[in-house]
Amino acid sequence: MARAFQRLGADRYRASFTRGELDVLRNLPDQLRVVLDDDDDPAAERLFPPAYAADEDAEADEDYRRLMRSELLDDKRAAIGLVTTTLERVARRGTRWAVELSEEEALAWLGVLNDIRLTLGVRLDVTDDLDGEIDPGDPRAPGLHLLYYLGWLEEHLVAALSAG
Amino acid sequence: MSTAPAREHTHEPDEIVEPDLPWVVIVWNDPVNLMSYVTFVFQKLFGYTKEKATKLMLDVHHKGRAVVSSGPREKAEFDVYRLHSHGLWATMQKDR
Repeated sequence: MARAFQRLGADRYRASFTRGELDVLRNLPDQLRVVLDDDDDPAAERLFPPAYAADEDAEADEDYRRLMRSELLDDKRAAIGLVTTTLERVARRGTRWAVELSEEEALAWLGVLNDIRLTLGVRLDVTDDLDGEIDPGDPRAPGLHLLYYLGWLEEHLVAALSAG
Repeated sequence: MSTAPAREHTHEPDEIVEPDLPWVVIVWNDPVNLMSYVTFVFQKLFGYTKEKATKLMLDVHHKGRAVVSSGPREKAEFDVYRLHSHGLWATMQKDR
């Protein structure tokens, strides 16, 4: 079975893709950058959620968002930068395309994959738990396939990171 | 060493200060985040065992929410921030 991510040892992981996967993945960091740069993007509310639940804490929530949004943005941009760098290092390995990752880089992949999936979830208006079914006639079918594919990748990455 | 001048109590405080209630951090169910990912994040951020992290994840999944940490406001806010940084839907509130 193809394994997208595996742990090689302490602080060493390998990401390995087909050519087709690589073509898809190479576009994702830029797409996420565009989302993060647009405060009015509908996904912003999901990527930068409120912290305080109670109405009486509305003022505290405004403070939190003002102070922490730029911190969260810095975290996310740093992760995108790391993923972009690792994509530039990808090289042919047998029939696949692969790159070795440090733990920090693997965690950056995890964050970026997850943020892209959250963004797709907003775009596709996913409000119920995903059940794996995609109606081919659903106009959202291509997006849902991408969401599932990225979820499959993320499962492999979580398993690799948990293997240490 | 000098001593501080004795402070005169000229008036009673006119505001009742609310006792310092602990805050709870709640993670809400989300249709996109993977169960394995949520478990991994709980372990990574809070150092929970796999068993405890899995139980909390299942509570989120089945009951819609779970309290994942608690403490003073600053700690709760830091935990919420870390959860937000990992894409989890987390909020905090006073534990009444």
